[in-house]
Amino acid sequence: MTNTIHRRRIEVLADEPLIPAIVRIAAEAGITHYTLLPTLGGAGAHGRWRDDQLSGATAKVMLLAITSADHAAAFIDRLAPLLESHHLLLMSSDVEVVRGAKFD
Amino acid sequence: MALDALLQPVVLFFLLGALAAFARSDLAIPEAVAKAISLYLMMSIGLRGGGEVAETGFTHDMLLAGGAGLALSFLLPLPAFWLLRTAGKLDRTNAAAVAAHYGSVSVVTFATGSEILRMAGMAPAGFMVGVLAVMETPAIITGLLLARTTGANSLAPRGGLLHETFLNGSVILLLGSFLIGLIDGKEGLKAVAPVFDVPFRGMLCIFLLDMGLIAARRLMDRRALTLRTVVLALLLPLMNGTLGVVIGVELGLDAGSAAALGILAGSASYIAVPAVMRLALPAADPGLYLGMSLAVTFPFNLTLGISYYGWLAAHVWPLIRG
Repeated sequence: MTNTIHRRRIEVLADEPLIPAIVRIAAEAGITHYTLLPTLGGAGAHGRWRDDQLSGATAKVMLLAITSADHAAAFIDRLAPLLESHHLLLMSSDVEVVRGAKFD
Repeated sequence: MALDALLQPVVLFFLLGALAAFARSDLAIPEAVAKAISLYLMMSIGLRGGGEVAETGFTHDMLLAGGAGLALSFLLPLPAFWLLRTAGKLDRTNAAAVAAHYGSVSVVTFATGSEILRMAGMAPAGFMVGVLAVMETPAIITGLLLARTTGANSLAPRGGLLHETFLNGSVILLLGSFLIGLIDGKEGLKAVAPVFDVPFRGMLCIFLLDMGLIAARRLMDRRALTLRTVVLALLLPLMNGTLGVVIGVELGLDAGSAAALGILAGSASYIAVPAVMRLALPAADPGLYLGMSLAVTFPFNLTLGISYYGWLAAHVWPLIRG
């Protein structure tokens, strides 16, 4: 049977211009491995939104990272004060991964 | 000129896109295609402007127009900010973010306006492309100063903000293409004319079809807009555009270039400024500044504003001056 290891899955939905800064905060928290996912559109507290490559201002990107509990906690602490002012969505959940050393 | 302008294919395609969106059609231009065409338009505008300046050389008018454009971009956000605060009832951050949009410029409004003026025999001078590039960013600085903060909790590092402001893609592409046009001249550009000159109007039609869809859909989802902000989104281009034309005529620019300065002053950014504002003033509502500039001001300028600025530059202000 393949061994799996417990890790934290972090997801941040943010407007595209904010992504480089969020990546920087993640790196400061020890999260250096991540994936950026494009989105097509959706609806939230501020109404409907859709992909917007023209201005890029309201195009949303999902940052996905699998990391250790310590790094995840540090990242959440740093990002939490900005969630309301920057209209960010932050989710964290438990996952089991194979090759746990890849997700420190 | 107003009816002629409305019947230009570029404007009709814009109206077609808007009608399709209002009718809730599933018509869509892929985002990546629209983005690519916007880059193409900037390259084409820059090359053509640079090519024309290579032919005419650097003139006194060019310096005057550049100085006027720079001053307008720095200063236009000030009255806009005051109006948005008093008549628009916006808070400081939102008023500053919106004001920055109205000091900056819309490349597509300029491109469409230039085509309409050219059809009317009032082609603006090639150096107006340089003025367009100059006017992209100063308003951002004024807007940030008006906001008095980049946000206590802003994610934006200062260096990153300056980088985004002065080296954003549209400024680099416009200025770079302008320089390439300047270096190669009209003769040198003949080799790339089949790509950057001949298909220009057709590409502009496709882009404006998409802009019609985007503007109308944003207007339908107008959660952030109020009657006050809509009225201001109509008033600001009229005020700014009139000022641009008056300054252009007073500086002795030809009618087409004065009208183009009016178009630039009357237009509002929806490409360069929103991305910077989203980073620098995250508390400002993108639905508000994009709604005003893209869903109200852009269609107004395309259908009525451009003709008004052209008419003012060609007939009214010279008549008033005697």
